Amino acid sequence: MSATAVAAPAVHSLWTTAAAAPIHAPKIEYAQLSPILVVLGAAVAGILVEAFVPRRARYGTQLAVTLIGLAGAFAAVVGLAATGYATTKADLAAMGSIAVDGPSLFLQGTLILVTAVGVLAIAERGLEPQSREVPHVDAFAPQAAAVPGSEDEKAAARAGWSTTEVFPLTLFALSGMLVFPAAGDLLTLFIGLEILSLPLYLMCALARRRRLLSQESAVKYFLLGAFASAFFLFGTALLYGYAGTLDLGGIAKVVTGDAAPNAALNASAHGDALLLIGGAMIVMGLLFKVGAVPFHAWTPDVYQGAPTPITGFMAAATKVAAFGALLRLLYVALPEMRWDWRPVMWGVAILTMALGAIVAVTQTDVKRMLAYSSIAHAGFLLTGVIAGNKQGVSAVLFYLAAYSFVTLGAFAVVTLVRDAGGEATHLSRWDGLGRRSPLVAVTFALFLLAFAGIPLTSGFSGKFAVFSAAAKGGAVPLVVVGVLCSAVAAFFYVRVIVRMFFAEPRADGPSVAVPSALTGTAIAVGAAATLVLGVFPQWAFDLADKASVFIR
Amino acid sequence: MHLLYPVVLSALLFCTGVYGVLARRNAVLVLMAVELMLNAVNLNLVAFDVWLRDTLHAGQALTLFTVTIAAAEIGLGLAIVLLLYRRRGTSSVDRLDELADRPDPPHPDQGAGPDPDADQDADPDARPAPDATSDDQPRKAAA
Amino acid sequence: MKHTLLAAGGHTGYYQAYSVLGLVAVLGVLFVAASFAANRLLRPDVPGAEKYTVYECGVDPVGEGWAHTQIRYYVYAFLYVIFAVDAIYLFPWATVFAAPGFGATTLVEMFVFIGFLAVGLLYAWRTGVLRWI
Repeated sequence: MSATAVAAPAVHSLWTTAAAAPIHAPKIEYAQLSPILVVLGAAVAGILVEAFVPRRARYGTQLAVTLIGLAGAFAAVVGLAATGYATTKADLAAMGSIAVDGPSLFLQGTLILVTAVGVLAIAERGLEPQSREVPHVDAFAPQAAAVPGSEDEKAAARAGWSTTEVFPLTLFALSGMLVFPAAGDLLTLFIGLEILSLPLYLMCALARRRRLLSQESAVKYFLLGAFASAFFLFGTALLYGYAGTLDLGGIAKVVTGDAAPNAALNASAHGDALLLIGGAMIVMGLLFKVGAVPFHAWTPDVYQGAPTPITGFMAAATKVAAFGALLRLLYVALPEMRWDWRPVMWGVAILTMALGAIVAVTQTDVKRMLAYSSIAHAGFLLTGVIAGNKQGVSAVLFYLAAYSFVTLGAFAVVTLVRDAGGEATHLSRWDGLGRRSPLVAVTFALFLLAFAGIPLTSGFSGKFAVFSAAAKGGAVPLVVVGVLCSAVAAFFYVRVIVRMFFAEPRADGPSVAVPSALTGTAIAVGAAATLVLGVFPQWAFDLADKASVFIR
Repeated sequence: MHLLYPVVLSALLFCTGVYGVLARRNAVLVLMAVELMLNAVNLNLVAFDVWLRDTLHAGQALTLFTVTIAAAEIGLGLAIVLLLYRRRGTSSVDRLDELADRPDPPHPDQGAGPDPDADQDADPDARPAPDATSDDQPRKAAA
Repeated sequence: MKHTLLAAGGHTGYYQAYSVLGLVAVLGVLFVAASFAANRLLRPDVPGAEKYTVYECGVDPVGEGWAHTQIRYYVYAFLYVIFAVDAIYLFPWATVFAAPGFGATTLVEMFVFIGFLAVGLLYAWRTGVLRWI
């Protein structure tokens, strides 16, 4: 680096270099990053367990390490929130990379709880048919690398192997999800995106049954996900070129014109083209993760093909993390651009709600139907994002917490209804389930009613919060569309309930497996959260309201 | 040199990558096209970094992370594509059509196989690889 | 929150920003269309089965376009790439760790980072992918 060229920067060129200003040692606030660090530590411990613990003891050790790690991380989140980091002491940790503020902590707490419940469903090994030699069979391939149906795989299955790597993979995905909504700059946002995606791509390919569908879903998810993250990254590069910084707060300052003048920046940032294209591409990448309409094509295929416990975890947790990141990007980095992004988001939200609700009606597979329902819910959440006020943020936070537990519970119930070929996901097979096993049918009906937004369930509280925030933010037509779409969506949820309770059961219909305590707990927690957040939502609203201010 | 040249070059590279993803039918080639897109981003970041004289070199730092993550991504992607190839004998993305919206799904009533570990896909396209016992033998592609 | 339009002032700036976008998009489409059209007009069109064979330095191709290598190479190449790429992070660190204010903490942090890589290598070793059969 030569400092001589600085004296004559009359012609600004790529070949001239600036003086190397001294770089100061970074200050890392480890205590404020502790939730993320604990989860990552548990994941690395999980890898060591995989390497050194004998195969027989791995499952128990992994489950213990995972649950202890999650408990520790949740304790860290609660500790940070209790010492005021959610409100008065909120700040940017690690040189501005991680924002420790209300929305971060609320979403991190939600994500850790969701993962804990998801891990219970993932750890279930009592549903598959078992033999004397292999007493425990889980939902994952005995040996992921073996060709389905080959001798290798049969040998691995006979030996009782299982892919216990799913536990550390889940934790790695969770660590990315914890970083994602808390990212204070675009670099951290990108790393969070990739760390949460890469393990999920792998976990999609691990199903024990219907491997071909599972692997197909992984390929589709991976190719589309990599494509979307390339767009995200190109947008990041353009925004960096526009603002000269990757900080979300710094970008906002350049947009408003409050930033310190910079000759080079003035030479490149005179047009808004970089800002508009860059912002649009980043938002496109986030909308892909969310599953909003022009970028939703992967959702039904991946939800159907992936192993059902993974689908539940992915559907619940990815949505929480991605909406957190979308909120932070739009509210911290681009609030002054809202006259540009709001019309686009209006269109996206309307399309998402309408397509999700209408196409779901034609579905005959339970997992696909739930996938389209998740698309419709992404649309409802977007109306809260569009609201553009503090109430909108708190409504989206509440909705995410409520929705994720309903989703987890619903997919956990899907794992129980089985026939000889594995899970019986075709809707016609669910006829008359209510007569055969009333408890399972009633629980599933509860989750469906929550999806539909019937009062006294968490779905109603969430939709009410989101729609009232949107109406207050001046998006009344959007609320009308949202309510209409909810009505259409309610039709197909009710149709499933009618099938379960009033159709004649088939003679060769599926049986309902009796779950072990693991899946039982997961479903019970999901149902309890659905009812509690539906009947007594006020404390959760207050919590979300307190946590709804972003640090800049 | 003006900033315009590298930025336009990177935009062209990125568009080539997008075209590749959309036009290629082989999953490996699609992966390569995605890599091209990521490298276009790297070029862009480095050019902006130098142009803006960023003392913290945020652009270059992000480039390093992009390179690392691209490596991880390609490794993982190849692994997933290989899994599929071994079972199907093809890595064409056009033939991934088991999962799709259709009026009636292909197997509404899954065959009741007595062996719980047997794979249940009745897929006409799928052909198990000729020698399924050892994974690492070189073998012919499907015609 | 102020409800202002773009800082550039009023509707002209607002629409101008989009007009640039639109112009670029139109130009892009035109460029591609024009070059494909020119191609179509200028090139001779003599199709033949010969032209669909794989080009191999002028000799007749042997076998198919796709060659196979042992899967083991992939695993090794992948491990190599991961470690080579992660070594990049050592370079920026090496330029600053002796500077005032960095010191021992920086050193320890880098060894923690290398420790994480070592965990990955340990896993690879224990799962047996490092054995060459």
